[in-house]
Amino acid sequence: MSTNDKDYGFLRPPSDEQYESVYREPSHYHPLHTFALPVGSERHYQQQYGDMYFLRLAKLKPAVEQVATEAWEGFNIAGEHARRVDRVLDVRQGDLCWVAGTVYMDLPLKPNILDDLTKEHFTSAPPPRRTYLDPSKPELTQVMLEDESGRLRLTGSLLSSTQLVTGAVVAVLGTENANGDFEVVDVKVPDLPSQPRRWNKTEDKKDGGKGKIAFVSGLGITGTSSDTLALELLTDYLLGYTSPSGDEDASKITRLIIAGNSLGSGATLEAATTAASAESAKKKNASKKYGYDASTYNSSPITQLDSFLSEILPSIPVTLMPGEHDPANVSLPQQGVHRAMFLKSRAYCSAPPSGDQQPEPGWFDSVTNPWEGEVEGLRMLGTSGQNVDDVLRYLDFAGEDGTSENNEDAEARIRVMEAMLRWRCLVPTAPDTIWCYPFQTNDPFVIQSCPHIFFTGNQPQFKTAVIEGDSPLRLDGPDASMAEADDSSIPRVRLLTIPKFSETGELILVDTDTLEVEVVRFAGFAGQEEKK
Amino acid sequence: MPPSRRGGNASTRRPNQSTLSFGTRSRITKPTATPTQSLKAKNPVERAVVPDVVTPEPAQPHIAEVVVREQAKEEVSQPLSAEDERALKVSQRDLQRYWKGEEAKRRTPRVHQQDLSLEEKILRHFDLSSQYGPCIGIARLKRWRRASMLNLDPPIEVLAVLLKAETDVNQRAHVDELMS
Repeated sequence: MSTNDKDYGFLRPPSDEQYESVYREPSHYHPLHTFALPVGSERHYQQQYGDMYFLRLAKLKPAVEQVATEAWEGFNIAGEHARRVDRVLDVRQGDLCWVAGTVYMDLPLKPNILDDLTKEHFTSAPPPRRTYLDPSKPELTQVMLEDESGRLRLTGSLLSSTQLVTGAVVAVLGTENANGDFEVVDVKVPDLPSQPRRWNKTEDKKDGGKGKIAFVSGLGITGTSSDTLALELLTDYLLGYTSPSGDEDASKITRLIIAGNSLGSGATLEAATTAASAESAKKKNASKKYGYDASTYNSSPITQLDSFLSEILPSIPVTLMPGEHDPANVSLPQQGVHRAMFLKSRAYCSAPPSGDQQPEPGWFDSVTNPWEGEVEGLRMLGTSGQNVDDVLRYLDFAGEDGTSENNEDAEARIRVMEAMLRWRCLVPTAPDTIWCYPFQTNDPFVIQSCPHIFFTGNQPQFKTAVIEGDSPLRLDGPDASMAEADDSSIPRVRLLTIPKFSETGELILVDTDTLEVEVVRFAGFAGQEEKK
Repeated sequence: MPPSRRGGNASTRRPNQSTLSFGTRSRITKPTATPTQSLKAKNPVERAVVPDVVTPEPAQPHIAEVVVREQAKEEVSQPLSAEDERALKVSQRDLQRYWKGEEAKRRTPRVHQQDLSLEEKILRHFDLSSQYGPCIGIARLKRWRRASMLNLDPPIEVLAVLLKAETDVNQRAHVDELMS
């Protein structure tokens, strides 16, 4: 082995080369508290849900009527002109007219409270259904249009090709037939709301704000040893240990948004089923160490999530949204996971607000689900997936019965997200089939301003699309107050479905300047035997 | 929601009733369930029939009533807005003119409203105007403010009535009392 002066191979003294420290891009962050509910005793549940439907209709009816008037102003079929009627029950037989209202779908397999009451004994909660439609009896599905005056049943061949869901506010053109049903000729939706400019909420915009925003969801931490590998890889990537330098640098990532289901659902269920026997019932009363019963409550998932967060928090700010399986309230809007759950990470939270002060966003922000905020000047709106899953139970996309193709399923979810933006309703099926808080004065699920990025977590597959509004910003009408853009700009939205990390191991990166999306995948190396 | 039970006092349980009685004081319910103790302290309508079976007044009113009262208190304590200033300028003659206009829209006069004051008649008409939303479970003042926030143009005379006679006007819709 020849030994040069300069080259010692692996054996060499430490070099004097100075490496530049790599700093992460700063994050400009303004969360909006659209979905925050009042705390404690100010939150009332006495009101009825009828107020929510009234609020939604009152807010969206002007918008949809404007779209409908523009479309159907001089419309005529065989010489008969379409005229507008005020209330749903004012339609006349044989008259071509159009009316706006809320859609209500009566589906055969929808969970019915009256069925629950008539059952005398409930052994266990029924499992959630995959779809409420009954494909063998399509005539049982009824679509109706409703407003304060009453309901009108809709028929027509157009209904099978249009996506309609309970709670969407639409305008329908048609005529009443002899049965009393309204035959639909055309349907119009409110379409995308006006989009604010970039950097709307940030007062001072010093630098260009280049960077990437990372999205992940469905971490599914169960506290067992099965999920440590992917999480370790993710941690190393975010902290910059494994990413190559240059354009793919992890220092460009300014913020991590975790969109729900950080805790896996398996842990507590197993403990509950094993405790079904009589001996463990006795044990339950006997040992109650640490203030909780260890046989039914397992604190290792949240502890592991806490340690994962506390490893990445010193370096990157995190926004955590609760999901279906997280320790937050069941009904939407889910309030943020309380800081008391995170013993180590709560040092990075901001101080709790005293009195009437606005809460300041902290480095570690535990936010509501759904969530709206402005990151790097881009307005983003997103949920943890419950709304899209529920809407899919109403709609029947071709090729989804039984053997659903993966691609078609992902395509269906993107179409549902686009439909929700066009209906301007984030959770249209609330309060019909999805639990929600009874809002009385203000319905925050109505989308007032169009986001730049619209994301949904906990989906089976990653898919993305860009949609555009049809018409430019109108400076008259109800959107005039939002008209901060001088020129007419067409709203463009990037739609994202974020897959479950526990199944796919994918992390989504969105570039803030170009709105391009990258996917980073973490997985263990499958050996030759496993691949076979 | 099922009616809430107030206390487990055996003395307040009603025995099986032997006579029929009508009115809001005693309610026909299933014999096994205890009736809701939803008697109100204030009720403007006089009852002609005195029930034979007497239910004692409960200590607390119905929870829906409590919620509406709290809403009303909060609404009243809000600072005056521009509409409130306008509403305070509305005179009694304006109210009578408004009410005449509303009655002229109907074909026949209203019945069974002889012993109601003008204010109460105006408020009940506002309650049943469905374009401002459901009237149940919400204080009348809060409902007016919500309707004006949504740009539905509720009549200013109703706001005048609600703000002027705060103490003797009922903030809870009459339909709400009947239905709960």
